[in-house]
Amino acid sequence: MYFRLNPECYLIRGERCGAIFDLIDTKIYALNQQETKLVTACEKNDPISGDEKLLNELKQLCLGNFYPNKIYVQKLRVGSRENKYNPLNPIEPPDLHRAFLEINNSCNRDCWFCGYHGIKRSLGCMGCNKWKENGSALSIEKWKIVIDGLRDLRCRDIFITGGDLTLAWDNTLEILDYASRKFSNIYTILHQQSISSEKLDNLDNMSKVIVQTDDLNGAQYENLLMLLVVEPGRGGDTNSLKRKNIMKDYIIGNRKFLSNNRVLTSKNKIMPVNMYKFLDNIEYHPCLGHTLAICHNGNVTPCPLMRRHKFGNVRNSEIYTVFEKEWRSIYEFWGLNLDKIDRCTGCEFRYACTDCRALEENLTGKLDGKRLCSYNPKEGEWY
Amino acid sequence: MLEFETMAKNMYAWDDEKGLFIPFSSTMRAVKSEISKLNSVSKEMVIERLKDDFNCDDISFCYNWLKKWEKIHVPDYKSQIPKEIDKSEIKSYLFAHCLSQLSLCTTEDCNFRCRYCSFSDFYEYNRGYSDKYMDFDTAKKAIDYFISLLNEGKKYNPIRKPALGFYGGEPLLNFGLIKKCIEYIESIYNDYEIIYTITTNGSMLDKKRANWLMEHDFIIFVSLDGPEDEHDRLRIYENGKGSFRDVIKNVTRIIRKGYKEIYCMPVFDWKSDLFKREEFFNRNDIPSVARIALVNNIEGCRYYEQFTEKDYSAFLGQLERARSCYYKDLNLQRGKEKLSFFDKLVGLDPGEDLFKSVSIYIQPLIMPFTGACIPGRKLFVDVYGNYHACERVNSSFPIGNVNDGLNFEKISKLIVGYLRSMDKCPSCKVSRKCTYCYQNFMTDNGFSPSSTVCENIESIKKASFARSFNIAEIYPEFVEESNYKHKNIKKYYGDDRNVFQT
Repeated sequence: MYFRLNPECYLIRGERCGAIFDLIDTKIYALNQQETKLVTACEKNDPISGDEKLLNELKQLCLGNFYPNKIYVQKLRVGSRENKYNPLNPIEPPDLHRAFLEINNSCNRDCWFCGYHGIKRSLGCMGCNKWKENGSALSIEKWKIVIDGLRDLRCRDIFITGGDLTLAWDNTLEILDYASRKFSNIYTILHQQSISSEKLDNLDNMSKVIVQTDDLNGAQYENLLMLLVVEPGRGGDTNSLKRKNIMKDYIIGNRKFLSNNRVLTSKNKIMPVNMYKFLDNIEYHPCLGHTLAICHNGNVTPCPLMRRHKFGNVRNSEIYTVFEKEWRSIYEFWGLNLDKIDRCTGCEFRYACTDCRALEENLTGKLDGKRLCSYNPKEGEWY
Repeated sequence: MLEFETMAKNMYAWDDEKGLFIPFSSTMRAVKSEISKLNSVSKEMVIERLKDDFNCDDISFCYNWLKKWEKIHVPDYKSQIPKEIDKSEIKSYLFAHCLSQLSLCTTEDCNFRCRYCSFSDFYEYNRGYSDKYMDFDTAKKAIDYFISLLNEGKKYNPIRKPALGFYGGEPLLNFGLIKKCIEYIESIYNDYEIIYTITTNGSMLDKKRANWLMEHDFIIFVSLDGPEDEHDRLRIYENGKGSFRDVIKNVTRIIRKGYKEIYCMPVFDWKSDLFKREEFFNRNDIPSVARIALVNNIEGCRYYEQFTEKDYSAFLGQLERARSCYYKDLNLQRGKEKLSFFDKLVGLDPGEDLFKSVSIYIQPLIMPFTGACIPGRKLFVDVYGNYHACERVNSSFPIGNVNDGLNFEKISKLIVGYLRSMDKCPSCKVSRKCTYCYQNFMTDNGFSPSSTVCENIESIKKASFARSFNIAEIYPEFVEESNYKHKNIKKYYGDDRNVFQT
């Protein structure tokens, strides 16, 4: 008798343990070492010998089934397999999913959590920041050209960020109005103190709004997506927040104070993935993949936080020329899947991890470094 | 679903809606049938109905799994066959996904009279031989226009690396034109990274021409069919003399120089000795095989009328022996440094059967069926300066010319006319596996219906799937390893045994 996981269930092995990814029901089942050995043997088409308790459980969970003979189970896949696939010698256009447009770098506030002070946040890319950088912001007309360029490249999602976008609100609205005629999925990031009912009315039908705040009690906009700055130990019970539309933007302190039981290092960083995300993560970095940021001064970077890595500048050229000239460099970032990160390559959760390269590089000094994780795949244990 | 069974008596089904294979069983079939009869039928009801014939645990599993499988949502593209296609839609698709190659037919003339040539009398709907040569003015216009399209398309696809191919007749009969084209590109468009290719019969690849092609990094495809007797049976000069010795002399000279970008493209028929060819193409002094092709049996082809039933049976017998021989030792096949004839003849089949199709995603709505491209993916320019979808499509369907550029109206009409003939496709059980394109259906003035051309396609595919799964059951690594994601996924599965042991 043989046992095989279903087409939609992938066994991913780590150095010691494994996990079953159910790509239809988007669940992950962590296995201990013994269970991993057993399921691995089954997936290698070895006949079953010994205890079938676990396998019966897996069948009950609709993850696999028994077969009288060796069989071949084709795993669920999405898209096509290219023979001799070579991303550096492509025919198809770059698969751009997400672009950050940092349309200004001005702000009159002096928030304690701002990137201006060198503060690192887990979702710093999505929130507002001011940077100690030279160079004037691109003109409105230039941003319109950037937007046209992103539309031509079939970019899916646009994040409009700053700076404080309300300082030059008319400009922001003009850019948003233009973008909304080209894109259906636009997010605008505003600081809570900058918003008003009138401004929200202005944005209606043009963009979804993400509100950055560090005020737990001030998250009164039930209908908006809140980005709440959280510093463990600074007061406030964020665990009691039940609203689904609140994203926690954790402050990353000095590296020596990073304990291992923090949200960012614990198993909370493993997120169930659907078939599209899982299969994409095998090839691309879970966050950097398919992403670009266009900074206020026109610099094009892998993400809003990785400002040292510059692919080009769109002040005097169009966005497609950056791909044309720097595709190899861009693909180095996009293709930085967790198989290429030393500490992650032996982890069974590597295709479901919310890894942030910007933070990891900042904390370790290395693009492929890893600090924010308390899982040891060699032992199969969380610390 | 298309069910099939392997030699080990395992059942599988091809789910054409999702483009995936699934393990199947008689229980699964029965449960599926119950579910399809009544949409909201409960598991308990199904168990109650089937419990006398099937194991209750199995019924329960099949029910749960089929319900789970249904959660994969695939848009219904089969009922959305376009009646007309907007020109801007084609243009936009073309700029993003097409323009991969410009092929120039430098001449319709050829110093060979290959017995199977698609320009011979055997092919009713193809052009015949002629002594027409392309002039530089035509080639220059084609190059300029192609580059202008690439320029316009850059903002939609800035990373495309296009190719320029020279084709014939025998393209080296117009070697002067080839040189002029490359010199022109290098002087005017030197910031473009263009891959150059040539498809030649090899007889004119003398030292001077070969050196020039190598200096310009050409990928050289030579129509070398096999050892002397095999090659000369089919590939002959106008005077009937075999061409092998001239071709091999030229090819050997290039190989001896250590040039890597030279490949063979053998063609075979029902009387070819497949084993002789395998032995020949395994030699280190013979270039790798890039592609093999059975003499094209497209609409209007009479080539096969010369063969008997006995010839066909003998050929099938040989093919079966080739398969047995190849799969006897897959470790040996995997370890080979270069691809041989059998790799292409039988080695790639299981991988292609299992993986060569689009899963879950749907094809572009402007070409929902078959493997046909959107004309413009490649641009083939004939000696008169007319554009065609590719070199294999007959001249009845031009899609523009070098003076006026691409005619999007004609492309639109071509696609719509083609799709109108694809009457079987909406109900075909293997539509996602289809590799047919225009050439398989075209006649002088339109397309034959797919219900005629593809009459037996499901039974052919069914047999092929069963063969491929026979291999996959025993040698899973062999069919999977060509998937570039495979190594990552199967990491830490353990290499403590030879994966090919049965």
